[in-house]
Amino acid sequence: MSTIVVDNTFDDPLRRAPLVLNHDRFDTVTEEVCRVNEEPHPPLAWYITFGISIFLFGILGVMVLYLLVTGVGVWGNNAPVMWGFPIVNFVFWVGIGHAGTLISAILFLFRQKWRTAINRFAEAMTIFAVMCAGLFPAIHVGRIWVIWWVFPIPNQMAMWPQFRSPLLWDVFAVSAYFTVSLLFWYMGMIPDLATLRDRAKTKLKAISYGIFALGWRGSNRHWHRYERAYLLLAALATPLVLSVHSVVSFDFAVSQLPGWHTTIFPPYFVAGAIFGGFAMVVTLAIPARQLWGLKNFITMRHLENMNKIILVTGSMVGFAYMMELFIAWYSGAMYEWFAFRNRMFGQHAWAYWIMIFCNMVAPQLFWSKKCRTNILIMFFVVMCVNVGMWFERFVIVLSLEMDFLPSSWGYYSPTWVDMLTLLGSFGMFLTLFLLFIRFLPVIAMAEVKAIMPQADPHHGHHDDDDDHHHDVEKAEVKS
Amino acid sequence: MSVSQGNMTAGSSERLQLGDLGPRYFRLGVITAIVGVGLAILLGIFTLDSIDRFFRAYVFAFSTILAICLGGLFFTILQHLTRAGWSVTVRRIAEALAWNLTWIWILFVPILAAVWMSHIYHWMHPEGDMLLEHKAGYFFFPLHYDSQVPIFWLVRAVIFFAVWAMLARFFVNNSAAQDKSGDPAITSKMQWWAPLSMFAFAFTLSFASFDWIMSLEAHWFSTIFPVYFFAASACGFFATTIVVIYLLQRAGRIENEVTLEHYQDLGKLLFAFGVVFWAYIAFSQFMLLWYANIPETTGWYITRMSGGWAWVSLLLLVGHFGLPFLALLTKHTKRAKPILASIAGWLLVMHAVDMYWLVMPTMPESTLYEASTLAAFRAEATNEMLGFTPHLLDIALLVGLVGLLAAGTVQRLTKCSLIPERDPRLHEALAFENM
Repeated sequence: MSTIVVDNTFDDPLRRAPLVLNHDRFDTVTEEVCRVNEEPHPPLAWYITFGISIFLFGILGVMVLYLLVTGVGVWGNNAPVMWGFPIVNFVFWVGIGHAGTLISAILFLFRQKWRTAINRFAEAMTIFAVMCAGLFPAIHVGRIWVIWWVFPIPNQMAMWPQFRSPLLWDVFAVSAYFTVSLLFWYMGMIPDLATLRDRAKTKLKAISYGIFALGWRGSNRHWHRYERAYLLLAALATPLVLSVHSVVSFDFAVSQLPGWHTTIFPPYFVAGAIFGGFAMVVTLAIPARQLWGLKNFITMRHLENMNKIILVTGSMVGFAYMMELFIAWYSGAMYEWFAFRNRMFGQHAWAYWIMIFCNMVAPQLFWSKKCRTNILIMFFVVMCVNVGMWFERFVIVLSLEMDFLPSSWGYYSPTWVDMLTLLGSFGMFLTLFLLFIRFLPVIAMAEVKAIMPQADPHHGHHDDDDDHHHDVEKAEVKS
Repeated sequence: MSVSQGNMTAGSSERLQLGDLGPRYFRLGVITAIVGVGLAILLGIFTLDSIDRFFRAYVFAFSTILAICLGGLFFTILQHLTRAGWSVTVRRIAEALAWNLTWIWILFVPILAAVWMSHIYHWMHPEGDMLLEHKAGYFFFPLHYDSQVPIFWLVRAVIFFAVWAMLARFFVNNSAAQDKSGDPAITSKMQWWAPLSMFAFAFTLSFASFDWIMSLEAHWFSTIFPVYFFAASACGFFATTIVVIYLLQRAGRIENEVTLEHYQDLGKLLFAFGVVFWAYIAFSQFMLLWYANIPETTGWYITRMSGGWAWVSLLLLVGHFGLPFLALLTKHTKRAKPILASIAGWLLVMHAVDMYWLVMPTMPESTLYEASTLAAFRAEATNEMLGFTPHLLDIALLVGLVGLLAAGTVQRLTKCSLIPERDPRLHEALAFENM
């Protein structure tokens, strides 16, 4: 397969940019995507990162075990900051889990064809991020063996969860989101699993992929039902993308605490989650397309589009920061103003300024097309966002440090267990993600083929000469 | 019809022009405006005992039409920002609505009068009120409030109107110029400016909603308020566009250019932004303030949940969310032109009710703080105190300003074709399909 570097980031109102490069036929697409799973050995980098990831995952296991046998005292959570790293990490990971379903559901409804190259692994990322998120509240309850108490299950103790608590709504919101995202991800994968099944060289592979392909034969009737189901799931998943992080924001905003109780929280959290989620997608996409040679599918245009979304949502988040600050002053509520002054100049001011720099300032580089299409610069920016979005939650949670009563003020510092648990959660996330890349179709082949000009029934039958299939050739060739 | 690369075939041009309908509708709009505003003034003179009531009704009518125009500007910028192809043939309606922003500053004059001649903007009189003295700088800076000249507030208003007029002029004039030259570079130019324009739009809409609507209740504050006003403007805009397109098609215009697919898409957007997003933002604001229940902010909702306002709130819940949500779920209603147009018309009424609910209620603060319980407050607070005094004047003023809006929009539509005839993406809009 030729790998000429084609610049498809042009912005010409007369024609749409090609989204799949260097492919004229469908079978070469299949070949190139399936190679990721069918190569006898993954690249060396996979082994190295997998080794590190699984080591970190192991650390997570040890930390959780230590926590369970010792108690939550091993964490830094203590009065007045009863919610420390666990809630910060929970919100951070749930936020990361927003991009996938946004790409697969909302961008689908908006007919954004470019989403097809990135939706599969973004959804996978979503699932794994939500799993990491779910871990933290679960281990935070202390006695994890009674975690089932959070579900409203009729029981002989006649004991029910507190329905008026947004923490319980969180249980519903996150589990609904996880379920629908998982279904969506899996359902979208069925045709591709069938492709892998049909191409399998060993019995074991054929049977394993075969089980999950659910007898897909690619018949007209199958596709018809598939597309109906896809549309319905997209419509159902769309409100979930907004509701999950809105409910997460309720955890804070229903309180009367300065810095937490503000009405902008739901949309601001959703924008922030999309922001952080897209940053993580770009973070993973950059090395993945490099290592597995997927640059014909995850093209520079895809990265540029995601960077634009990062700029938009980052600016929304910045706007919300400023709005909060403005209203903290305008309201004349002295406690609110105190909380914000404290954020900016108090004992954890450094965290606030890291947040401002990483989330508000750094993404502004993306105003320039040069920066949006430069791998090094975009990697710098998305790493800033990854850090910044973690610190955003840290800053919010630390509003607890200094409340209304000076005698109860304190200073929060995490313990080494907090730190290693957070690090370990990245290990869990990356381990799952690397396994996904190795064993499951990393790009939605069937969907990518559908957006190629060749899939258009009118392709090649135009009256005029302006056919789409010259697009690749006509594109300006960059060295 | 064979259309390629933005060259419309000749002969169809009559259906793409407003033609003789233009002057007719324009006259109708102007007459409506004169009758409406005239009737309102007469009613005001003969039935009102305070000018405050008149000005409040005026702010309501002004906000209602301003929201629709801002929605038009938003949609126009958004289409260039996203390089949209499907919407080319409906964009002119948005442009024409946005065009009203070039003259709407004239309608701001009565609000200036309201600042000095009435008490509806309570922040003009901060003396002795700790909170208002605290925030006086937001209105009077660099002067002291004794001066009675809210310089900072005025400067902001000038900036808002200037920015809106500039943006509307830029996008509408360039789009019209493309009809003549067919130059795709014009599209590129508009696309280049779209992101910055969107920033300017977000900033100005937010602070305009603080300055002119939220500050009516000078003590109250809510960080989500601009988003609420934005959602309302999206609702007003999409509903208006659907109604206008339906009327144009009934008059034999743009029948082939705006297809059922456009109806379905506009219906989806009305559903998504005008109904669901609006409800999401409304619920977020309400639930958080209700749940935390602190005196600084709950009064605003207690007012709207007492007396006659309780029924208006319920009407909004059912009429602005519940019913249209159910009605717009299926594609069949979105693809049936008269049905979709009726739902859009209904939502337009609801948009006005929403603005009425936003602007008219007055929080009887002393009663609120003295009442020991909610029930005691409700027993004490009369509809008069709560600002619930529906009056024919409100409708007359609204009808009058809507007449002006219609006249302005029609005037703009007569100036050029009803669709951007030579937009480079016109063929996409003519050919796209939902299913």
